[in-house]
Amino acid sequence: MRTTRSFELPPDKAEANRRAVRLEWITVGYLITAIFFLYITLGSSQAMKAAWMEDLLSLVPPISFLVASRVRHRPPNERFPFGFHRAVSVGYLVASVALFAMGLYILYDSLSKLAAFEHAPIGLIQPWGEPIWLGWFMIPALVYSAIPAVILGRIKLPLARELHDKVLFADAMMNKADWLTAVAAIVGVIGIGLGLWWLDSLAAILISVDITHDGVKNLRTATSDLMDARPTLIDNSALDPLPERLRTEISSETWVKDVAVRVREEGHVFFADIQVVPTTTENLTPRLAGLTQKLMDLDWRLHDVMIMPVDEILAEVDPRAKRRTE
Amino acid sequence: MKTVAVALALTLAACGIPRDPEGTFERVDGGVMRVGVTDAHPWVDLGAEEPDGIEVRLVEQLAEELDAEIEWVEGSEQELFGALTGRDLDLVIGGLTAETPWSAEAAVTHPYLTTATLVAVPEDMDLPEDIAGLEVGVEANTEIAGQLRKTDAQVVEVDDIESYDGPVAIDNFLTDDLDVTDTGVRLSESDHVFGLPMGENQWMTTVERFLLERPGEIKELLDELGTP
Repeated sequence: MRTTRSFELPPDKAEANRRAVRLEWITVGYLITAIFFLYITLGSSQAMKAAWMEDLLSLVPPISFLVASRVRHRPPNERFPFGFHRAVSVGYLVASVALFAMGLYILYDSLSKLAAFEHAPIGLIQPWGEPIWLGWFMIPALVYSAIPAVILGRIKLPLARELHDKVLFADAMMNKADWLTAVAAIVGVIGIGLGLWWLDSLAAILISVDITHDGVKNLRTATSDLMDARPTLIDNSALDPLPERLRTEISSETWVKDVAVRVREEGHVFFADIQVVPTTTENLTPRLAGLTQKLMDLDWRLHDVMIMPVDEILAEVDPRAKRRTE
Repeated sequence: MKTVAVALALTLAACGIPRDPEGTFERVDGGVMRVGVTDAHPWVDLGAEEPDGIEVRLVEQLAEELDAEIEWVEGSEQELFGALTGRDLDLVIGGLTAETPWSAEAAVTHPYLTTATLVAVPEDMDLPEDIAGLEVGVEANTEIAGQLRKTDAQVVEVDDIESYDGPVAIDNFLTDDLDVTDTGVRLSESDHVFGLPMGENQWMTTVERFLLERPGEIKELLDELGTP
């Protein structure tokens, strides 16, 4: 017995999703201006370069979210019989690989500049005919690249939890942590101003470690999603309780002798693959249909439930079955 | 906003920000300025006993302002930038442009002057509509010759551009000397810079400020010394 919902999000979640899409558009627009301001004040500061690259990379999660949000609602077709929910996971993987690679690159670049005792030259610019040290323009550009980002991140975080959307979550966390990058880069620029050349590379190293760390964390989550790992809470802090709830719910049926539940995440919805050992085959199909409906009503994220009656639960299906028989 | 920013920047500049990691400004100010020079007419001329040229005169004026003595060091660009990287020179001049391949080893100033190479015709000749097929004279074995070859003009390579009669491809500051009129056809632009040791930002901004504050004097020098 199998049931699939025709829509991905219930009406209240769809509203939250619309808000998230709007916020991500705002994020993309704002980031482009921040990237522009950082670019024109970039100079030769290594820390500025790192902050700029981080902002450039912060474009990846909102763009993958926006692309995924267009694709994932498409109904399944012959070529993609399970639909397009995984578009989110693919976008997420791409975003984390980009983060990780860029983090390592900036780390290497900054370390080698520090090791080579490279002093960053920052000269004058003449925006209004009056020559002014470029360093003074870097600081406001960095502040601009941080404050709206932090606010956007804070607004997006609860939406990400509500929608169980990991890309949105990763994006919100990155935005929220953006002030750290800006402060580090400002310290680097002030360091250059005071003649403490090494502060610049040091700040850049700090920023790159942060980017790499974000990359590794997200890469791990993205890979385990694509590997059909057990669903976890959005911040990866604990296992999602849903599979256990399904098991309890099914076990409470009097006609069920044994049950195995496998749940995988496809983007932000769940696919459940359930085997039950019935005590009797009497009225089996209506019972399965009733049970499926009951399960579907438990949680909106449960998108596709398949229940299969079997004679015996194999250890391959449920590693717990083996433990139970031993 | 603008005035506040300017005032703020000037106040902070007065506190000596940016400072030099290796104290170049402190040492040059009232001391000795070690300047690397390489022959590049009309910017640096090393023919006579003492160096001369547009950039040499600018450096002499800078030294006067800082009450510094100049120690001239002649060499190839390779030698001079090698010395600059090791901070054994304080300044390198010699017709450097912002596109210099040495920018990974050394800092360059904000461009103090932009020149162009262009196609010009003798004053008594009508301005051509287009340089396609036009016979244009250019000094043989020069960068301008290469730039001209990329256009659809007919390239005439000559040894001495001064004695050539007809349309020519030259630096823009030579039009008066050669009695030719600019056709408006630009072959390239060059932003002229000085080379400095990496990251000596107080020294760098001092040199930049000096250069940026005197566009008029630089133009006069170009008129006086910018000859073929």
